[in-house]
Amino acid sequence: MRDFLLRSLKHKSYKFLAVGGSTVAVVALILILGAQKNFGPQQYGQLIVAGLGDGAIYALIALGFVMIYTVTGIINFAQGAFVMLGSMIAVTLYASKIGGTGATGLIVAALLAIVATTAIGVIVERLTIFPARNADSLTLIIITVGVYITLQGLALIFWGSNARILPAFTTVATSDLIFRPGGIVLKAQSLWIWGTTAVVLALLMVFLRRTLLGKALRACSVNRYAARLMGISPSRMSIFAFGLAAAMGAVAGIVLAPASRPIYDMGLKLGLKGFVAAAMGGLVSSPVAVLGGLLLGLTENIAAGVTKSGLKDIFAFIVLIAVLLRQRRQMGRGLE
Amino acid sequence: MAVVVVMMFVAAACSAGTTATTATTAAPATTAAPATTAAPATTATTAVTATTAAPPAEGVAYKIGFVASATGPGSSLGMPETNTAHMLAQQWADGITGPDGVHHALDVIILDSESNPDVGAAAVSRLITEKDVDVLVAGTLSGNALAMAPLAEEAEVPMISMGSARSIIETDGVTRPWIFKTPQENGHSARWQATYLKSQGITSVCYLYENSGFGQDTLNNAKKFFPEAGIKIVFSDTFERSDTEFPQMQGVQSSGCQAVVVGAIPPGASMVTVALRDFVPDLPVIQGHGVCNATFISLAPKATEGVVLPCGRLMVADGLPDNDPQKPVLMKYIADYTAFTGGDPVSTFGGHAWDALQWAYMGLSSLNEGPDLKDRRAGIREYIETNIKDWPGTGGVFNVTADDHLGLKYTGLTFVRVEGGKFVNFPPKDW
Repeated sequence: MRDFLLRSLKHKSYKFLAVGGSTVAVVALILILGAQKNFGPQQYGQLIVAGLGDGAIYALIALGFVMIYTVTGIINFAQGAFVMLGSMIAVTLYASKIGGTGATGLIVAALLAIVATTAIGVIVERLTIFPARNADSLTLIIITVGVYITLQGLALIFWGSNARILPAFTTVATSDLIFRPGGIVLKAQSLWIWGTTAVVLALLMVFLRRTLLGKALRACSVNRYAARLMGISPSRMSIFAFGLAAAMGAVAGIVLAPASRPIYDMGLKLGLKGFVAAAMGGLVSSPVAVLGGLLLGLTENIAAGVTKSGLKDIFAFIVLIAVLLRQRRQMGRGLE
Repeated sequence: MAVVVVMMFVAAACSAGTTATTATTAAPATTAAPATTAAPATTATTAVTATTAAPPAEGVAYKIGFVASATGPGSSLGMPETNTAHMLAQQWADGITGPDGVHHALDVIILDSESNPDVGAAAVSRLITEKDVDVLVAGTLSGNALAMAPLAEEAEVPMISMGSARSIIETDGVTRPWIFKTPQENGHSARWQATYLKSQGITSVCYLYENSGFGQDTLNNAKKFFPEAGIKIVFSDTFERSDTEFPQMQGVQSSGCQAVVVGAIPPGASMVTVALRDFVPDLPVIQGHGVCNATFISLAPKATEGVVLPCGRLMVADGLPDNDPQKPVLMKYIADYTAFTGGDPVSTFGGHAWDALQWAYMGLSSLNEGPDLKDRRAGIREYIETNIKDWPGTGGVFNVTADDHLGLKYTGLTFVRVEGGKFVNFPPKDW
């Protein structure tokens, strides 16, 4: 008895010490590095706000990855292209004054951009994924990489290589509304980004859990063959997943557009960051993907803030490697 | 089947940048006079002799190789350069008649480096070995130009760079014999910035620069020239061109500097200006000459207001006094460029390409028939080094020597301010 207690205590305390110790070490390291730059609570608060701003976008993109992976088993590396298409189409439509100017113009442009991107998502699925549906998933993933390069190339032809500008939603002007609660700079567009991420996540959860179509999608992800026997068409579900993922990508691109300057090659980096976030939830869990996105944004910005900003992307990919190594271990366990 | 289609698309997308757009100008000219646009005194006399000569004999075709960042992150610079190259190729469609009266067709081979040093270097080596170009005008971004320069040097081909770092034409203080450049440099920019900061009584600055060869070079020059003026760089950090959040701002805030100097090109330079206005609205923002184009302002119309920077005279040509030696050149370039592109605004970067291509053209125009490719290349190099004297270009009045393959003083730049969405002359007397 005594022996058993001692052993379990040892085991648990080892784990506790490892986790707790490394957390303390990381926090201490951040504080030491921050102290060298005279960082106070306001600076850390600002880094957190910035991290959540970037993170919410990664989360939105990650949701697109999760949607397609759960239904089709494909990691869709073209997700970044949907984000780029969403913002570039919205910018173009807004500039063409198709829905008038001002706020209505912006709303019409945004809605049409989502519709157009969804259509492109569906077309992409029909032209590239459907004909190769019997190929192994690695082939399909490589196809999505090809799709990304194609869409980026087409965007370059259509829009040229200049960056664009979309007005901020709240002011419908190139300037953003700024709040300064407690000296921390908070942009109105950041609120739009957070709100959109929350709404999209909520809608997605309700859709997957409460509607017949959503349940069919989930059935397809659990077992394609059984789903087919139940009268669910995996091919139709695959179109649906691509359309939905493209729409979510477009939404991410549109809310991001006023905060960044849309350009034809913006998709690659965003897509990869979204993938990192989605991978944290094993590519199957929407809520974890959103948390992963926020965590990635925070890690990136805090790490870059206390060290050098040039290292921002490096931290994102360190996280990716760590996540993939962990996933691999988990997958190994699953097979046991 | 569809997969094959996609793969073809992919192949097309990948090769899009490397396909040659050849502005062929092989049509033999009936009138032998070359386009005398702003030709220097030497070629002007050439033109006169040429028109009086009998129907000219036809010599070998001359080739100018042109590589710019028409796409990719440097495209706001490379696109105007590429447009300028297309425009001049059209203006020079008649070819060149040498001092000996022999006529030569002129090919301007225009390639895209995709802002990628590897793609750029591959394009340059293909131009040298496969296309046998006589002279190269290449490299929009300093990093790209630095990758290309050794290839030109090794093959002994004169190369005129459009990238601005001093290290392109000089290694360890020794001038590279085959490499020239036309953009004013970061050292000039830094001297202007230091002069301005000193006049404002500013002694500590924050320095933000983009994560690129150009950005690093601007910082190196600031480190060289700012201390001489009693200015300390108390905080410096990099950013990426695609950044949307700027954790650097916390460093700027907590460092307590009196002004922020930025070394970048658009769109990054515009984004960082927006962030600076949000976080530190009271600090003056001083940019470098990497943002002398309309893109910089149009991507951040409100935030860029009041930004000051050293810039080429091209951006403020209207406001120059009539006796300025550059004014006629600048006004003509602006008129030509806007007509050619259907109303695009000019940028100093297109001007750098114009200057560089003019040198190449003048070098070719000075050649007699006879020399083989190797001698022609050497002849052009020789010509640029010895004959570009008091030459008014868009970037300044050039005086190229064997020791200085740029030939500009820091006053080749002028000081400007963004006012009402435009660059306005802001000379020292108004500071």
